[in-house]
Amino acid sequence: MHGYEFYVDPSRCIGCQSCVQACAECETHRGTSMINFDFIDRQGTTASAAYVCWHCDEPTCAMVCPADAIKKGDDGIVQSSLKPRCIGCSNCVLACPFGIPKIFPEYEQMMKCDMCYDRTSVGRRPMCATVCPSQALAYVRPEEIARRREKPTNVFQFGNQRIVTRVHMMVPAETDAVSLDVLDYMWEESYAAFSQPQ
Amino acid sequence: MANTESHKQKRGLVAIDGAIALIVILLVVQIWLLSATLETYLAGHTSTVVPAAIFSGLLFSACLALNLFVDRVDKESRHN
Amino acid sequence: MPLFRSPSKEPLWKEEFSVFTSDERYVTRRQFTKFLTLASLGMFVGNLWILVKSRFVKAPQFSAMEIAEVGEIPIRGVKLFTYPTPQDHCIMVRTSEDEYVAYSQKCTHLSCAVYYSAKNDRLECPCHQGFFSIKDGSVLQGPPPRPLPQITLEREGTKLFATGVKGT
Repeated sequence: MHGYEFYVDPSRCIGCQSCVQACAECETHRGTSMINFDFIDRQGTTASAAYVCWHCDEPTCAMVCPADAIKKGDDGIVQSSLKPRCIGCSNCVLACPFGIPKIFPEYEQMMKCDMCYDRTSVGRRPMCATVCPSQALAYVRPEEIARRREKPTNVFQFGNQRIVTRVHMMVPAETDAVSLDVLDYMWEESYAAFSQPQ
Repeated sequence: MANTESHKQKRGLVAIDGAIALIVILLVVQIWLLSATLETYLAGHTSTVVPAAIFSGLLFSACLALNLFVDRVDKESRHN
Repeated sequence: MPLFRSPSKEPLWKEEFSVFTSDERYVTRRQFTKFLTLASLGMFVGNLWILVKSRFVKAPQFSAMEIAEVGEIPIRGVKLFTYPTPQDHCIMVRTSEDEYVAYSQKCTHLSCAVYYSAKNDRLECPCHQGFFSIKDGSVLQGPPPRPLPQITLEREGTKLFATGVKGT
């Protein structure tokens, strides 16, 4: 939709999974939700986060696809894989820095969030943003987001790769780019550390 | 998803389609020229070989020029 | 091929497998145009090859072969012989007291054997009604695309020799 942007604020997520249910109601991918729902640290906290596809400006998934199945339209939305072309190789699953694409081996297809293209292309909000009670997923005008304390950013740094996305993430005001080190999020490290005798 | 091209890109596509049609016509002429030259040469008339080669070269240069034109339109109208 | 590609900041694979849907039609068209130009180059090379061949390949020379005695056949008479190899059948016709002509007997249409028709004073092919002139073997009528190859004759004393083949 023109003028509207998608904002993700994981700190607002209450773990109700309404977004997961709402996404699963879509006719295009009946019953399968495209929301990436994470429990941050299931052992230690009830904190959760829901993510949608970030619709990067230079989508890594599209660039690594060997079948040229992932396409980005002129409106900036990265579409889910094209059914005739996708071979189910999982290259995009491995390549996406955010871990968004989902592979379905039973029908050798990748599916991912496409910003509810059947809704947003005709002026409606995506399902997840519509139902999120805390507006952790929000599809609003920038003026409305400006009223929040956090500031939106759409620049991510993954090691050497700088990624600019269409979807914004709410971060503290001083942050200009979200830098992530993959090693910080590898569970083997923390598991190994936990199981060591103190 | 079919109408993802902007107006400028649509115009570029039309120009390229026209150039391709022209190239195909030139190619047909060149095919005929090659077969006719071969026939006359094998029949013994060697006087036609040189002008035929020159004209074939002209046709090829025209095809090459159209190819460069298509490349130029492509570069100008592409997204990135 | 960096020689033929104009420099651009994008690597070739990014241009050819663009992530944007609007670029797809451009890519296919550009590849098709490239293919057509390559085909055109192929034709041009073919023409050049013919040119080179015409310059450097000489017509084969055959040695002379005695084929008949002067006066052996009557006026408007015919003698069949083979020249230069036993597989090349030829026909010789005495057109007047002192004039002899000889041609390859293979019709240039589909290689049927031509015969001399004294009534019409021409060489005729029975298969598809192709007629050749007795004077120079050119096509008078019918499907043959080329004139009959002519066998050059030389008289030495009382003998007639076939010395070469003109045309194909």
